[in-house]
Amino acid sequence: MAVTLEVAEVGKDFLIPVIDSVSFGVEAGEFVCLLGPNGCGKTTLLRIVGGLEPPTRGRVLLGGEPVSGSGRHTKKVGVVFQEDRLLPWKTLRENVELVLEPLGVTGAARRATADRQLRLAGLAGFEDYHPARVSGGMRQRAAIARALAIEPDLLLMDEPFGALDAQNRRIMQAEVRRIWRETGRTILFVTHAIDEAVAIGTTLIMLSARPSRIRATIANDGRVERGTLIDDLNAMIMDEVERQQGPASTS
Amino acid sequence: MIDWKQKLRLPTLGVAAVIVAGWVLLSWRYGAYVLPSPLAVARGFVDIVATGEIWRHTLASLGRILVGFGGAVVVALLAGLASFLSRTARGVIHDFLSVLNSTSVFVWIVISIIWFGLSNWAPIFTTFMITLPVVASNLVEGVENVDRRLLEMGDVYRLSGRQKFTAIVVPSTLPYLVAGTKVGFGLALKVSVVAEIFGVTSGIGYIMNYSREILATQMVFVWALVMILVMTATDTLVFNAISRRLDRWR
Repeated sequence: MAVTLEVAEVGKDFLIPVIDSVSFGVEAGEFVCLLGPNGCGKTTLLRIVGGLEPPTRGRVLLGGEPVSGSGRHTKKVGVVFQEDRLLPWKTLRENVELVLEPLGVTGAARRATADRQLRLAGLAGFEDYHPARVSGGMRQRAAIARALAIEPDLLLMDEPFGALDAQNRRIMQAEVRRIWRETGRTILFVTHAIDEAVAIGTTLIMLSARPSRIRATIANDGRVERGTLIDDLNAMIMDEVERQQGPASTS
Repeated sequence: MIDWKQKLRLPTLGVAAVIVAGWVLLSWRYGAYVLPSPLAVARGFVDIVATGEIWRHTLASLGRILVGFGGAVVVALLAGLASFLSRTARGVIHDFLSVLNSTSVFVWIVISIIWFGLSNWAPIFTTFMITLPVVASNLVEGVENVDRRLLEMGDVYRLSGRQKFTAIVVPSTLPYLVAGTKVGFGLALKVSVVAEIFGVTSGIGYIMNYSREILATQMVFVWALVMILVMTATDTLVFNAISRRLDRWR
């Protein structure tokens, strides 16, 4: 079951404040893209939501349960990192099977789930391959299959296609969009590529430069024409970059 | 055709032939006590194989290595496990290993003779103390080099400590263990033989020293040859096979 996510006044300091204060809510089944200039703490925010890092301030609630702190929440979170993070000594099937183990799925059921997810990710026939034997795009597909295998309440993706070439990127964006449509999962997707966010997200959240706050929240419902939206967001990012670095010298 | 040439390593064989020729000349010049001829060495080798003496001493040495070096591997594994479980333990182990690493073989030989007298335990203990830091440092380094990002992935998917250990830590430290064991075994053979000079009446080290005492220099060469053969045999039969198996997924 998809659940709602609530980020309440979350802030993070690493010696200097990186995230000032960010609050937003994600409805079940929403596909939210987190945008912002480089170094504004997008990845940090995603890691806080995923419980991989504690926030300095504020809190994150997933289906009403606090994410950080001692007690572990009962919701399932799948994460697709910038790198595939597959275990190189396991086959693609074994990599997916591994994350099913803690859920108590065993034997034939586990294998069937792994194979189904790999097939959905377009990896049928490659189940017995080791990661080193397939392409970077296929490895990232396997990482997505792994994240989906646990039937996550929330799927976090951290610039998952950053390492892929333009063609594969486009294909993978379409795949993720299709998977989202078919499964209805709640997705939080970090990217610095505006066209990517506009192509796949239902809601776009633009963060400001460091220390970051939310600069704008935009419903990507097709009411604004795509090209205009991309132009607006680009202008926003340039504006933020200038604010952070000072205006570019005009020579 | 090319494959055959590669296998034969003709240049190496050529150089070896030159060395053997020089060896023959030098042994004529200086006599069999200083440098026995290749033929005498070959004859001595055939002799110990025929009488079975080769097995008595080789197995005696290997037996001691098995206990001393095997013990070192076991303790190294425990050290590796401890350094995975606790950062504090890792620091302590690290410091102790650098002390052990900088201790001479001779220190352990002398101490083991004082402690264990003239017995099997002297070479065993020496082998243990010398190979332990080699295997353990490799293993601890392996544990330190486990990819944090993979462990974090394990946390995301809520793998238990045991699952993370078997699925992530063990496979990523295995190459370090193999490398450490390979170097350690070579060292064990070299060290235990030295320790066998003192106080035992079997083993390659003992028989080499004995051959020297009875002026049978050709036998010193024969047993050196046996050592080299044991070394190369374990390298190709055991370690290369293991490495090949480990590399399957690369």
